[in-house]
Amino acid sequence: MNENMLANLNFTDITIIISAVLIFFSIVFGIIRLVIGPDTVDRVVAIDLLTIVTIALIALLAHQAGRFIYLDVALVYGLLSFLGVLAVARFLEKGI
Amino acid sequence: MTAFVLTLLTIVICAGILIGGLLAVMLDNMVSAVISAGLASLFASVVYVILAAPDVAMTEASIGSGLTTMIFLYAIRKTQKSEASANDSSPSVTSPGHTSAEEEK
Repeated sequence: MNENMLANLNFTDITIIISAVLIFFSIVFGIIRLVIGPDTVDRVVAIDLLTIVTIALIALLAHQAGRFIYLDVALVYGLLSFLGVLAVARFLEKGI
Repeated sequence: MTAFVLTLLTIVICAGILIGGLLAVMLDNMVSAVISAGLASLFASVVYVILAAPDVAMTEASIGSGLTTMIFLYAIRKTQKSEASANDSSPSVTSPGHTSAEEEK
């Protein structure tokens, strides 16, 4: 039964499953670093990692649902994560 | 198989919203609490995408993750200056910007 289920997968399904597993572990390790991070800088780097992984996840969901209007959300995230991290970095250095 | 993996991802993202909210309440450092609130907003936007509402997700991404963080940091900077001039005994508000504001004075 298990071999039959694996034999029915084509190349696209295998690629989606591998990328989803990689995104899963990236989100888990990023959340762990955000929880146990002793300093503010660790948490800034962790949320930057989680934003980039989230962009990949939204692109994966757009492919899975077949609706490419979802890619606009990923585009907005790609523009705004830069601004958020830059604002926190300027605050930690000398103030906005 | 693909649906199972995506369901597992959805569960992890919903747990991430819960963890971000709890960290935003429980952390003592103000900047870390603002970053954790940004995490909750980030994952809520992904859940909006999963629930087939990309316009709501775009609004949540621009306002919740971008604008709120900058406005909160601006407010923290302003209140730290007024607290440093009023009294120095405020152990709950500790950040690297606090000491530099005292050194300038």
